[in-house]
Amino acid sequence: MAIIAADKPATRRRLSREVSGGVFAALMNVPTGLILALVLVYPVLYAGYLSVHRVGLGQLRSGVFPFIGLDNYARLFDDHLFWVALKNTFIFTGITVGAEIVLAVAIALLINQTSLWTSRATRLLILLPYAVPPIANGLIWSFMYSFQFGFLNRILFSLGWIDAPVNWAGNPDTALFAVTVPYVWRTLPFAILLVHAALQGIPRELYEASAVDGATAWDRFRHVTLPLLRPIIAVILILRTSFSFAVFEEILAITQGGPGDATWVAAWYSYKISFAPPNNFGMGSASAYVLALLIGLLAIGYVRLVYRRVTL
Amino acid sequence: MAISGGVIMTDELIRKWDISRRRVIESMGGAAALGAMGALPAFAQAGGPWSQVPKSKVDRLNFVVWTYGDIYTRISKQFETDWGVKVDATISSFNDHPAKLTTMYAAGEKIDVSQSSPFSFPNFIEQGLVEPIDGLPGAADYVADFSGFTKQVAQFKGKTMGLPYFSAIWVWNYYADMLEKLKIDKPFSTYDEFIEHCVKAKKDGVSRYPVLWVAGVGLEQLPGTWYSITCNRGGTFFDKQGNHMLGPGSIARDVLKWWANTFEKGLDIADPESLKVQFTTSAKAFGAGKNLYRGPNHHYGLNVVNDPAQSPIAGKVKVHGWPGEGKTIGVTHVYFMTTANRDKEWAWKLLQALGGKTKDGEYTQAISLAKDAMLGSGYQSVMKSDAVKKGWAPWGDVDAILAMWDKASYIGETCSSVYQPWHFPWTDQLNIEVQKCLTGQITADVCCDNLIKGIAEAKKKV
Repeated sequence: MAIIAADKPATRRRLSREVSGGVFAALMNVPTGLILALVLVYPVLYAGYLSVHRVGLGQLRSGVFPFIGLDNYARLFDDHLFWVALKNTFIFTGITVGAEIVLAVAIALLINQTSLWTSRATRLLILLPYAVPPIANGLIWSFMYSFQFGFLNRILFSLGWIDAPVNWAGNPDTALFAVTVPYVWRTLPFAILLVHAALQGIPRELYEASAVDGATAWDRFRHVTLPLLRPIIAVILILRTSFSFAVFEEILAITQGGPGDATWVAAWYSYKISFAPPNNFGMGSASAYVLALLIGLLAIGYVRLVYRRVTL
Repeated sequence: MAISGGVIMTDELIRKWDISRRRVIESMGGAAALGAMGALPAFAQAGGPWSQVPKSKVDRLNFVVWTYGDIYTRISKQFETDWGVKVDATISSFNDHPAKLTTMYAAGEKIDVSQSSPFSFPNFIEQGLVEPIDGLPGAADYVADFSGFTKQVAQFKGKTMGLPYFSAIWVWNYYADMLEKLKIDKPFSTYDEFIEHCVKAKKDGVSRYPVLWVAGVGLEQLPGTWYSITCNRGGTFFDKQGNHMLGPGSIARDVLKWWANTFEKGLDIADPESLKVQFTTSAKAFGAGKNLYRGPNHHYGLNVVNDPAQSPIAGKVKVHGWPGEGKTIGVTHVYFMTTANRDKEWAWKLLQALGGKTKDGEYTQAISLAKDAMLGSGYQSVMKSDAVKKGWAPWGDVDAILAMWDKASYIGETCSSVYQPWHFPWTDQLNIEVQKCLTGQITADVCCDNLIKGIAEAKKKV
């Protein structure tokens, strides 16, 4: 027994020498890293591989992909529709992300007012749209936008705001904007939740101190709240931009890219190229890669321009 | 030994009784078959290849199809009852079907039978997805019974690649009460008269938008409308050598100009919903009773718009033919055996249950589709049968539709690019450009010029 007891500290010392804190942390991250590599890195690399090969149905089935270099990218950049889809995607993303940031901050400030009993009820209700599946959301709004029988036109008409029905989703001038509304409606709760959580983390003393200094409500928002929200706004910008860039369900349910090419967006383009005959998965992968690259560049831009480390 | 009615039956008696019972059943079957001759001529033929049990064995089979009521649940159950083999169904919407099928195929899954629109089919064949059926037991009999449309879709480069699901032709519909209200005796017989009726309906305040076109994005809606009117006026989109027929002065271009003029920036008689509706939704929208004319589109839209459960104006919508010689277009959708099947013999059996004859020797599905859904058949014998005549009667004037059917040609004769692998991407562009034209963003001339350039672009995407 005595021998064993004497050996124990020595074993511990050896172990602590062998496994340092850094190594231990790295080891603990191995399972996560492996899972991420499997579900994230591998598909991304595989899509990259496909984008430089000729990949149709027959090739996918046989597993033999002829290498064609950058041909898919060349054909992609040569396609007028790709550029239209990209332009529409930027417009869509600009509108939805901008609207979400503004609305999320405004609504989060409102529901953060604990003195208002309605804030508590709103906090619960605000989550409802987030629970609606994207495709169901698109179909609901598609009915609402219906030209002759839509709920939206009926309301506007009874309010006297319009004197003839508006073809919201069928008019090339309004279709893209018509798709942004359901999208923002569905995804806004996520942004509100993040901002609301960040607001609750701002120490009350900062507001009390600024009030003592004679700051107005606007001054408090501008000089206290907004700077402290910058990190979370950067996070929302990155997340929402990447999701908006990949918008698909609302387009599928409401406009299917139409009228004309008014609502062709990048993800719709990739889908059509890949999954409609002649099933050019190679070119579809190339377009998805370009999209991912653009999102990556925007994310870097956000981090550099918006994100600031907060020190209190 | 067995006891029957107090008589002790010896082996000899049983043998005699069995023989006489077989005779009675046979003679009853014969009488029933004779009785059914009027209704279903020469459908049920016992002992054909469709009733033979395959020598191989399988645990289960599957098909990948697009949704249509509950027909596939019924077919699966019937197949299991007939053959003792369970059938798994993968069912998606019509628009999602090609993506579902191709994804499963690419992922290496087993797929015994699937289906295709005539637009996707040449692509599926070219990509090696479709197993030819020539030489399989009974295949030649089916081919002999194929209608003209079916031959043009199901036979590709000399090989038979599938069996028909259903056939349809493009017709017009009109709301009879509204026509009566306008004091117009009969629907249009010329395109000028069509415009006159619509302008009058709008002017008299009877209908704000007298015509509901079926012009939503798709393969058969917006393109089908353009193809059918062009066909009726004697035009095509490509000549026999494959050269486009969209240049200045072409019939297709003139048709587009005429069509675009019915929209907002022209006569403003076209319902703005036209650019969104698909075939079924257009029939449902027409059921609201706000338009005078609907179409041109599949003849079977009548089974929605004249169904009291789905339409407030049921029974008041009539089918109408085409001006001039009455030429129109038609299609056949097909079922096919995939090259990813489990077992060729059994896959052929399942394919027949869907697109051919069931174990009893009848075109069971073709007949029930005619009765339940007003669908046409890809088999001549079914089209000539009472299944169609009686089955379609609740929804429309069967003789009138069949007369139009006789003047219909396959859609591929009007737009032969359906046989080309680049037809799909070109149709994407066609949907975009024509919708731009109809919404007044570009002229018909610019639209056609863009489509001419688009042929080369589409070929690059293949």
